[in-house]
Amino acid sequence: MASLPKRIIKETERLISDPVPGITAEPHEDNLRYFNVTVEGPAGSPYENGIFQLELYLPDDYPMEAPKVRFLTKIYHPNIDRLGRICLDVLKTNWSPALQIRTVLLSVQALLASPNPNDPLANDVAEEWIQNEAGAKATAREWTQKYAKKVEN
Amino acid sequence: MGNVPTKAEQNDPSWRNNNPNSNEAKRTRNRRAVSLVSGAFRGNNGSSQSNVGSHRRRTTKEREQDKEERAKQLVVKYNENVDGGFLAPFGVYGFDKLDYDAKIVKTLIKERKLAPFYTPLQDFDESWTKEEIIKIVDGLPLHSSYEENLEEFDDVPVGNINRRNFDDLIDRTLSKKDQRRQRSQIFRARLYKKRILWQEKEDELFLEKKLASRNPANEPDKFLPSDDLKYDLYKHGSECPICFLYLPGPMNYSVCCQQPICTECFVQIRRAEAHFPHEEIDPTTHAPREEEKDPNLLTSEPASCPYCAIPDFSISYIPPTSRRTGFGGIPSGMFTIKLEPEADTPEEMTPRSRSKSLEGASIITSDTIRPDWELKLNKERARLVRRSTNATAIHISNRLVNSAHMTRRESTQDNHSSNSSRHTPEPTADEIENVMMEEAIRLSLEDSPGDKRQKKRSQTMV
Repeated sequence: MASLPKRIIKETERLISDPVPGITAEPHEDNLRYFNVTVEGPAGSPYENGIFQLELYLPDDYPMEAPKVRFLTKIYHPNIDRLGRICLDVLKTNWSPALQIRTVLLSVQALLASPNPNDPLANDVAEEWIQNEAGAKATAREWTQKYAKKVEN
Repeated sequence: MGNVPTKAEQNDPSWRNNNPNSNEAKRTRNRRAVSLVSGAFRGNNGSSQSNVGSHRRRTTKEREQDKEERAKQLVVKYNENVDGGFLAPFGVYGFDKLDYDAKIVKTLIKERKLAPFYTPLQDFDESWTKEEIIKIVDGLPLHSSYEENLEEFDDVPVGNINRRNFDDLIDRTLSKKDQRRQRSQIFRARLYKKRILWQEKEDELFLEKKLASRNPANEPDKFLPSDDLKYDLYKHGSECPICFLYLPGPMNYSVCCQQPICTECFVQIRRAEAHFPHEEIDPTTHAPREEEKDPNLLTSEPASCPYCAIPDFSISYIPPTSRRTGFGGIPSGMFTIKLEPEADTPEEMTPRSRSKSLEGASIITSDTIRPDWELKLNKERARLVRRSTNATAIHISNRLVNSAHMTRRESTQDNHSSNSSRHTPEPTADEIENVMMEEAIRLSLEDSPGDKRQKKRSQTMV
């Protein structure tokens, strides 16, 4: 096994010592590049009160290459497709090595607060979002209730 | 699916202006409107071929040798240093990711226009004493450790690395194409092993010299840093915001927002791969397929600042005032701290004082250290032009067959002798066009997709 770059070690330490409110990210024990992530739905959005599970993987070229992030929880959102893939600029061409796991997850959370149906990944959701925003938001709330409900441990 | 929202591109129509070839691209498109075939030909011939030409004719072995020479340039040598740093990277990032022009970077470092590559510390503790710092620095190698065996090369035979020729390792029963693939894989596996050996050799030499210098009976090695230099370097270091490693200062600074970046991270910042501009897509319609797009639209923007995302990322560097050792300075072993060490640390410069002293400093971009970026873009464009020329030629060939019949019939009507047209001293534009079209079709038939050798041949012919 290649040794883990200092950057990943330090980022992981800092995520634990200084966590981001509403977001958790914990590395797998057997693969420290793979993180279990939870993101709370932002207040005022159709995803409010939802806890969404995501997976985050740091590729070999991280931080020169963006982390790979995917929703595991089903979500109704124009920029997130059925496989949980996310259409977000900072995960693609606008990735910068100065960004971090922390900032990427904050961007994902912000995407929940402000969906962009004009740059869709899930075309059917985007169409619905443009044609009947209230209905789309109601579906999003329904899905949040159904799939992303807070579970008390 | 999988579309990429490049907000900057969408909002900023100036991406075209960033592309130095945009005018040329427009011109080629206009020509194409006049004559499909000749336009496509010129696109293939003129804009890219002239640049690429000289590279095409080199043999595989020559190219392999070039790659090996380049790789040698990336080995750190303890006796090639500038202000306590080196001319080659420690190895925070992998071998494959070092695609910059090593000669240019070495020159920039020697001229103190770019911070040298320093050996990083994983951590730094403010409470360390001078003795502790010196001890830690003494234990540093020149290179980070690499994995001896990569999974990727597990089943690749490398043979005797000291022998230059490895033709005997190639399985001759394979198809030509697979032989080429195998050759390139073996070459890469061998180069990987060689790089590790070269690095180990330099690390061993460095260690030997350090051990020898401990013996007071020996002449001191002037290339090894003095204790004062080791202390001065690392006492005033800082963490690079990208690799999170602790390095001696001063670092390079972004021109736009005055943020620090170490040289090892800077050389990793490069243009994105050539791509088509991202377009807003109407979710109700289908996006055009890649192969339907004009290859001349293929673009690559200069890297943006990793900190503030301003396009055309550039850095500048102010060399330290407290030390000038190695190339263009005193030998590293002779460095002594003259003043109160805390007094003149360049790190304490405010952004304002820094930008003031930057006046007249050189500005380095990721294109400065990769002068071949345009060549690579043109190569990619040429590849796509070839592909679309093939498609166009096949498409036209049907129409050509019809029009050729037409022309022949007309010429027999106009001239009593069917031979007379052959004796025409100057061919007409139409005839040239026909010849070129035939040539395009011939090439396209020859140039079956995926067969690189044939592609190469057809290019040299064009």
